[in-house]
Amino acid sequence: SQVLNRPAQPSPIDYQQPRQYRIGEIKVSGYKFLDPIALTSLTGLKEGDMITVPGEDVSRAIQNLWDQGILGDVDVTARTEGEVIYLTFNLTERPRLSNFRFSGINKSQAETLRDKVTLQKGRIVTDAVLNSTRNVVREYYVDKSYLNVKVNITQRPDSILPNSVVLNIHVDKGDKVKVGDIEFVGNEAFKDKKLQRQLKNTKEKRFYKLFTSSKFNRTKFEEDKEALITFYNSQGYRDATIVSDSVYRISEDRLGIRITVDEGQQYFYRDIVWTGNYLYDDDYLARVLGISKGDVYDQVELEKRLTYNPAGIDVSALYQNDGYLFSSITPVEMRVEGDSIDLEMRVQEGPQATINKILISGNDKTSDHVILREIRTLPGQKYSRDDLIRTRNELAALGYFDPETIGLNPIPNPADGTVDIAYSVTERPNDQISLSGGWGGPIGAVGTVGLSLNNFSTRKMLDLSEWKPIPTGDGQRLSLNVQANGKAYQSYSFSFTEPWLGGRKPNSLSVSLFKTIYRRDPRIYNPYIEVDDVNELSRLNVDGAAISLGRRLNWPDNYFYMNHSLSYNRYTLKDYGLFSIVQDGKMTTFDNGVSNSISIVNTLGRSSIDNPTFPRRGSTFSLSMNLTPPYSLFSDRKDNFEYIEFNKWMFDASYFINVAGNLVFNTRAHFGFVGTYGSGEVGPFERFKLGGSGLGGGNIFVGTEYIGLRGYDDESVINSNNDRQLLQAGGIAYNKFVFEARQLISPNPAATIYGLAFVEAGNNFGSYKDYNPFKLYRSAGVGARIFMAAFGLLGFDYAWRLDDLPGGMNDKRGMFHFIIGQQIR
Amino acid sequence: NDVSKKYKAALEYYEQEEYYRASQLLDQVTDLMAGTEEAEKAQFFRAKAHFLQGNYILSDTYFRNFYTTYPRSPYAEEAMFLQAQSLYEQSPSYEEDQKPTITAIEAYEEFLVRYPTSERAERANKVLEELYTKLDRKDFNQARLYYKLRYWRSAAVALDVFLQEHASSPFAEEAAFLRLDAQYRFAQESVPDKQEERYDVALDYFQAFVDTYPESRYKREAERVFDGVQTALAAIRKTKQPNS
Repeated sequence: SQVLNRPAQPSPIDYQQPRQYRIGEIKVSGYKFLDPIALTSLTGLKEGDMITVPGEDVSRAIQNLWDQGILGDVDVTARTEGEVIYLTFNLTERPRLSNFRFSGINKSQAETLRDKVTLQKGRIVTDAVLNSTRNVVREYYVDKSYLNVKVNITQRPDSILPNSVVLNIHVDKGDKVKVGDIEFVGNEAFKDKKLQRQLKNTKEKRFYKLFTSSKFNRTKFEEDKEALITFYNSQGYRDATIVSDSVYRISEDRLGIRITVDEGQQYFYRDIVWTGNYLYDDDYLARVLGISKGDVYDQVELEKRLTYNPAGIDVSALYQNDGYLFSSITPVEMRVEGDSIDLEMRVQEGPQATINKILISGNDKTSDHVILREIRTLPGQKYSRDDLIRTRNELAALGYFDPETIGLNPIPNPADGTVDIAYSVTERPNDQISLSGGWGGPIGAVGTVGLSLNNFSTRKMLDLSEWKPIPTGDGQRLSLNVQANGKAYQSYSFSFTEPWLGGRKPNSLSVSLFKTIYRRDPRIYNPYIEVDDVNELSRLNVDGAAISLGRRLNWPDNYFYMNHSLSYNRYTLKDYGLFSIVQDGKMTTFDNGVSNSISIVNTLGRSSIDNPTFPRRGSTFSLSMNLTPPYSLFSDRKDNFEYIEFNKWMFDASYFINVAGNLVFNTRAHFGFVGTYGSGEVGPFERFKLGGSGLGGGNIFVGTEYIGLRGYDDESVINSNNDRQLLQAGGIAYNKFVFEARQLISPNPAATIYGLAFVEAGNNFGSYKDYNPFKLYRSAGVGARIFMAAFGLLGFDYAWRLDDLPGGMNDKRGMFHFIIGQQIR
Repeated sequence: NDVSKKYKAALEYYEQEEYYRASQLLDQVTDLMAGTEEAEKAQFFRAKAHFLQGNYILSDTYFRNFYTTYPRSPYAEEAMFLQAQSLYEQSPSYEEDQKPTITAIEAYEEFLVRYPTSERAERANKVLEELYTKLDRKDFNQARLYYKLRYWRSAAVALDVFLQEHASSPFAEEAAFLRLDAQYRFAQESVPDKQEERYDVALDYFQAFVDTYPESRYKREAERVFDGVQTALAAIRKTKQPNS
């Protein structure tokens, strides 16, 4: 009867009606090793607290206890007396993990797994913990092709710590299992070999396939099956399906795969009609689509031609570039007769979307305006997909952001026909600090301190809170460099660039100053020589300053730019044999005196590359002319040294094309010419030195253009018959052609890595009489580059010389070159 | 024992305002004290010691852990407030991404919901106003950039969007004037076909401007723009007349 008349005792808590209670007492039961007072305080509740039951107070208390990870189970019982509630926390303690170890595997794998498993010392050991550990270990080995791996976890009490266990995770790897055989059943149109190639990540093990992995991975295999169907679809087999597939054991370490396909029949396009198109007529759309009657019915290609064709224009781009963001094109199969398909392209043009708002996120350093002024999608304009893509390239070119993660996200508001565009960026460090010491050839030990800040802010310099560690965000560039080895050699340089002078137009202004002192100290060669006064040593000082203005042009198109700069260099020589050359039977030398060079450089260029670190598509070209005043036209000059006179023309062109995936072809051509206005000799300055890595390792003081030609020694290439003096002076006309295939290996912004193979050819001429653009010294080779934000670009090439230099050292053909910095030529 | 000795020493350092030493010791002992009666106080002082040193990223985490673990603690209110302040201190300049500012705003608002009658509420409201003004300034600056760049159409559109979203902002007055001026210049540069319609929009903007800010410091300039618009419209309508 008691059972029937429940509740015999009135239920203490009515779960329908939350009520306030005062806590009369908190008890803990079931503890063995833990301290009850500590546990009580961990609940976050105290005697005398007002709590609501049912309510979140008690559940939070339970959660708090749980979160410590030291209990196996927690529940609460309560007893009430009027307003007062008595709580009892019933705990179950479980053994805690004191240590764990692996057996059956080697040390390094155990180390790796130790990081992968989520076992935490001091926490309790539950079945869930054991299971997840077992899974982590299993997956690790399955991924390494050990499909037969066995994982066995045993527990034993720790002899030192009470209530603790030590886990032993025993792994029996078994044999590596690889794919031995892949066969297809039901395929008539394509051979097994052709179909096997479509399975990109599932390959047969063959002794000659050295670099092909023949692991079996279930998820990748499923993807490969989809790829196989996509392949069939792309060949017009619209109905192709995989009827069945089986993976079976051939032997202990080999798997066999059998895939049964039903190919169905091959289809072709018949009639394609367009409906709903008002802006463009049928013919035009058909031409852009580029599919004609009788073509193989390829849904993948159709989709590409309609929505996104990286190789050219697609139909939706026609609309999207003109603001029709809401447009859509749906291909509908109208009739299927035999092997022919009639398509209807249903076009919905929708209204033109106007850009409303630009949103920027992720700029933790760079100021809004620095980003916003580069953005080509402007409020009030019609939406255009091209502008979006162009903006991504512009933002990448700034160098402040990781080019691979620049986000473009149009947010349409169909209600009012507008679109907001959200750009997201990830800042990356791009300041470079160099602190180095090295052996600088004839100079001896040289120390270098360099600092280049690429996103500096002079505006924030006065605000102390912005010095964290330096004021950044306004896109200004500042660089300082000091090189010295005491008295013999000192070099100081400073430069500053403001990219948007006045903040209204993208006109950049750069100022740079430098000073170099070089004393040829005989003590380097013979430390016993006495030198009384360092000022008496033979020396070369170079001081210079330059100011330049850059402009972006809107004509012929807005990828063009123009640069004007004015520079002044002064060379002071004392017993310094800078230049001696015999030409036309006349000896020209220059050892003492002051030489002034004032010149104006005008550069016209165009750059449309999509990424400054690893360009995939686009081109750059630049034509620059460097002119000094034509002194010789006004006065009779006895030499070309006091006021240097020259005109120099440089042309560089580079073209990038993305051939497949991350493979890019780069073709380049470079030309340079130096001349005088009158009939005078071309002086020692601004000449070309060709060969090697092009870093200018030798005489770095004089204005000389160093150009690399891999496969040949530094500065060794000149078209002359072993004319040492000419080689030392440099040529006055050069040309160089390069073809490079680049493969991106790691796009990681912290270290972008790519490999390359190249062929190149070039020559350097001492006089215009000899100039012949087809007479070239050739080379070929391979190399790798790594771009790190803090160091810039570093790399090496191994190059193979294909021609002999006249009178050169022609013994070895292959050589290594180390490359530092991004080189234009 | 070792733990309680270190804890005591930490509290002494804290009293002497040697927060670095205090936090170092508290970092060592707080986790080991889990479950003791002093743990609550230790956690709070650890958070505060980091806060007072300016380690706002750490103090944010520690204060938050504190008030979720001990919501009934007498320190809970202060912890929640100081957690919000830790976020406030991390709010960057208005020219950078404002995600931290928004997180700080949310924290202060949560504080005001939980402790509406707190004596810190006034301060919280003040900070909230400052943070909202910062967001306003950011949006205004972005819209005004188009004006500076002389992209008149974009300036007019962006300032219009700004005024729709921040009608009561301290920058609204300047925005309203710049919107008018940008629209006027945009109309001036337009092809003749579109000019009349665009000048009319400028007239609307002038009307809205004088209605909202009758005593504006931009009044003079606005009136000059208005005269310009009227003259231009008159000329357009005059050339139209002979045709009709």
